[in-house]
Amino acid sequence: MNPLESPNSRLLLSLLDATAQRARVIAGNVANQNTPGYRRQVLAFEDRLREALARGRSVDELAHMTPEVGEDTLTPARADGNNVNLELEMSAMRENRLLYEMYSTLHASRANLITAALESR
Amino acid sequence: MEGIRRFFGGFRAAASGLAAERARVDVIARNIANAQTTSTPEGGPYRREVLRFAPLLERAEDGRMRTQGVRVVGVERDSSTPFERIHDPDHPDADAEGFVLLPNVNTAREMADLITAMRAYEANASVQENFVSMAERALRMAQ
Repeated sequence: MNPLESPNSRLLLSLLDATAQRARVIAGNVANQNTPGYRRQVLAFEDRLREALARGRSVDELAHMTPEVGEDTLTPARADGNNVNLELEMSAMRENRLLYEMYSTLHASRANLITAALESR
Repeated sequence: MEGIRRFFGGFRAAASGLAAERARVDVIARNIANAQTTSTPEGGPYRREVLRFAPLLERAEDGRMRTQGVRVVGVERDSSTPFERIHDPDHPDADAEGFVLLPNVNTAREMADLITAMRAYEANASVQENFVSMAERALRMAQ
């Protein structure tokens, strides 16, 4: 079996894909930090994977999950209705980049993929 | 590699942020430059300009709308902030009673906006750097 087609590998590729998408979501938030009424967008994937894992889903099922982009309704908005917080956004960006580097390192080494990806988060 | 192309979208989103904030700095500069302009071709003192921003949306693969960046919808005149009225009979634009209407530009407010715009500009620039390093990473992975 081609190790790149194993569920673990596919899951790692979806994680890479999700972090790439998240970087874009964050870029959209930063670009709109001064747009009145704008609500920051968040991409949920790792948390959803963790939940699914806790519910006993198999790696194969996890590998078919897709990230979800939603509106952040918890962060309070400023007077102009915008709830983008620059510091929050920049640290989310850095965290996301580290995740991307981690996933790509794991992908490159092709070893202990799924356990490390989910446990070291 | 399909992953690389994903980064271009984010890179452009940050570029739209840079352009929007730059436009805002230009408007602030015009407002400050005209803080004492008491007569304009339209008549009356200079009215401060404000930019209106709106999210730039695109339809994602799943059919839902996603933010792709920001765009400047338009430059508007601030008609809610009143003009300042001072008594200065020697002023060429003084009315019969010696009152002059000054622009509704508050320099302190403009300077505060300028700092916000500059901070936002820098943030967009570091988002771009972030995409560069992610794309480099993706390229190394492809090697």
